[in-house]
Amino acid sequence: MSAARYNRQIILKGFGEEAQQKLLRAKVLIIGAGGLGCPALQYLAAAGIGHIGIVDDDTVSLSNLHRQILFTTADIGKLKVEVAAKRLQEMNPQIGIIRHPIRLQKNNIIDIISRYDYILDGTDNFESRYLINDACALLNKPLIFAAVSGFEGQLAIFSSSDHLTPGTNYRDIFPIPPDKGEIPNCTENGIIGVLPGVLGTMAAAEAIKLIAKIGQPLTNKILSYNLLTQEQYTINISHGDDYTLPKTVDEFLNMDYQDTSEVPQGYIEIDAEEMVKLQQLDSTILIDVRERHEVPVLDKQIFTQVPMSEFGTFMSKEFYQKHVVLICQHGIRSVAAAETMQEKYGDAKKIYSLKGGIIKWRDHFLKS
Amino acid sequence: MEIEIISFGQIAEFISNQKIEVDGIADTDAFKQYLEDRFPTLKGIKYKLALNKNIVQQNTEIENQATVAIMPPFSGG
Repeated sequence: MSAARYNRQIILKGFGEEAQQKLLRAKVLIIGAGGLGCPALQYLAAAGIGHIGIVDDDTVSLSNLHRQILFTTADIGKLKVEVAAKRLQEMNPQIGIIRHPIRLQKNNIIDIISRYDYILDGTDNFESRYLINDACALLNKPLIFAAVSGFEGQLAIFSSSDHLTPGTNYRDIFPIPPDKGEIPNCTENGIIGVLPGVLGTMAAAEAIKLIAKIGQPLTNKILSYNLLTQEQYTINISHGDDYTLPKTVDEFLNMDYQDTSEVPQGYIEIDAEEMVKLQQLDSTILIDVRERHEVPVLDKQIFTQVPMSEFGTFMSKEFYQKHVVLICQHGIRSVAAAETMQEKYGDAKKIYSLKGGIIKWRDHFLKS
Repeated sequence: MEIEIISFGQIAEFISNQKIEVDGIADTDAFKQYLEDRFPTLKGIKYKLALNKNIVQQNTEIENQATVAIMPPFSGG
């Protein structure tokens, strides 16, 4: 064991040899090797966390590179866990790195997180966040939670008791997940690369504090961070009584996490060519579900504007067209809209969503 | 009485940080109703209130010069 590698933190007053040994004995699972996961992985590996697991089933793409700083242009198309594990191992060959190139679901999450002492959630969707929260609460695994939106971030530690309060969990703040499309995500809304860098690094700091038992980790607190003002606002979390958590593995397996692989979809995802064919039918309505300020602006004679924020009102009225084509910027909100419509109309109407959205078929929209 | 509002994320787009002068609002339930009447967009979003930096889990009395934070959930990574 090379003490020289960790010398600067071992000689640090308030850290020292004992804290370093705690890091070396710790097993930490990082879920999501994205904007939050990359910096967290780099600092935790460098700091000497003895065993680091990485979960991600995705491959590197060009639009990841402005914020997922473990990856290079040459890595595009490769599995994130493979690239990340290789680079981290080169940086610190003394630690163990375990690859989990899978998507966590109800049927595999319990097995995987049981093998670790601390869990860091750097995922990018609510389904995963509630799944991870509930599994960590069930198994009593301390969960470091980091999330970003726009220029802001949230950071918290769940399922970890302090001397005053038994561990709280995400449902104590938000008892049930938002509906699809209610809260914009990074793909839809954009994200500045440095923001998940800051939050991912702060999450790594919380993991280190928690493991080494130094300072005051954000146990039973949620911190809001604003990049534009550099302001932070910390709120104390207490237990809520307006939700139920699964108390056994069987109950957990019966929960609904809106796992898309389990739900048969009734709507159809189409390309621009199919959209043009449908457009020629009198019984087709094309609906743009983007908010009114979004660009490019489409021809309102052809595309009826129904922003997601007004979708509920629209759905309460009837319309005659039998074929409904929903479009948005990336084809994510349009899927949410398609699901809502499918639920209301079932087989009475044929619902379509333009896959990849306006951005993917940019040429088509700009010429028309 | 005076209440300071601090909001986050997409909620800050339509409720800016401000101090407001209100009368007849005694507790967090009444304040929630006031917010949703004045800013109807809030009704369509999941959010949580914190009173003086403590999460509001049940109806709580609001005193003069209280700070209420309004927080939506974030999922991005």
